[in-house]
Amino acid sequence: MNEGAKVITLLGIPFDVGNCLSGLLAATIAFLLVFIFSRNIQMKPKGKQNALEWLIDFTNNIVKANIPDQQGRNYQLFAFTLFILVFMSNQIGLIFQFSVGDVTYVKSPTASPMTTLTLAFLVMVISHFLGVTRFGFKGYIKNTFLSPMPALFPIQLLEQFTNFLTLALRLYGNIFAGEVLLTQIGALAKGGAFGFIGSIPLDMIWQGFSVFIGSIQAYVFVILTMLYISQKVEKE
Amino acid sequence: MNSTFLLGAAQQIAWGDFLFYLILFAILMALVGHFAWNPIQNMLQKRADKISNDLDSAEGARLKAEKLAKQREDALSESHNEANQIVTRAKDNAEHQRSAIVQKANDDVTTLKSHAQEDISRQKQEALDGVRNDVAELSIEIASKVIEKELTVDDQKELIDKYIEGLGKQNGAQ
Repeated sequence: MNEGAKVITLLGIPFDVGNCLSGLLAATIAFLLVFIFSRNIQMKPKGKQNALEWLIDFTNNIVKANIPDQQGRNYQLFAFTLFILVFMSNQIGLIFQFSVGDVTYVKSPTASPMTTLTLAFLVMVISHFLGVTRFGFKGYIKNTFLSPMPALFPIQLLEQFTNFLTLALRLYGNIFAGEVLLTQIGALAKGGAFGFIGSIPLDMIWQGFSVFIGSIQAYVFVILTMLYISQKVEKE
Repeated sequence: MNSTFLLGAAQQIAWGDFLFYLILFAILMALVGHFAWNPIQNMLQKRADKISNDLDSAEGARLKAEKLAKQREDALSESHNEANQIVTRAKDNAEHQRSAIVQKANDDVTTLKSHAQEDISRQKQEALDGVRNDVAELSIEIASKVIEKELTVDDQKELIDKYIEGLGKQNGAQ
């Protein structure tokens, strides 16, 4: 993973090309997989439909664990989309690393704090919004910030920011660290025959571990998302 | 020129990514929802409906089968009873018929016997009567033969008169 980034400015808005491109790629792959898996849906599932249903069931169970069923149904699609996007973003950098010169064009989008902060921001905004629509503005303030007692208001307020930051930075840190180490192992491979041979088992181990971490982090991200939403929409 | 641009860019926060990812996520969610999520959810709903329907109809079928089995059992036991009744009735009928036939035979025999006895006694009587008449005639003939030899005309006349008288008496008695 290289430090360089190509930034272009469109309509006065600066875009990081590498980040956007890899995000787009991750989203496209995720969508194509889901799209292909959902062709020929039958009453009696077989093959790929089973796999897709298993995945949907998996994210639905995450939602169900935090939010009671009837209400939770509204958030199932959100959880599913979030999961496949984060999961694919975590894994894509392990498969492709595309660099030209100093600039990396394809990597894990979640290895950039910008991406994870955006997703975490989206989650926090949605959770607060849902809190307001569920209880009205007064009820939302009371439920989110003044319970269990009004004296805890500063802590509750602070907690919302720490929730947002930890949600984003946990994901970013895990994936970024994984990619940095992979880059280091890659650099070792270029340092002579000895380094090349030594780097092969290291790389394999770390790749496997990164796949594991990426999956766990996607899972954790969705769990925490649902937890934050449930804190806003459930009476404590 | 290029390097200064990159350096400047690196320090600049690419906040366009923020917008980009928001839009990306929204589009992805819409596409996934339209192409995969809704069809799957519909199908899951349909499957749940079908399963519950199947369970209901299976329960119905089970109840129906139980009812049918019970009906059949009832019918079977009923037919057993009926068969028993029929056999019993047939036995009774046969018994009745047997005793009736025997009774009738006994009666017939009794009547036949009495008729036969009457016939026999009547015939005996008739035979006796016939024999008596024959004996009487024979004796008369013998007597007349005997008498013809010994009797004179007068005696004969007297005898004939007596005889005629006797006939007259006999006729009068009859």
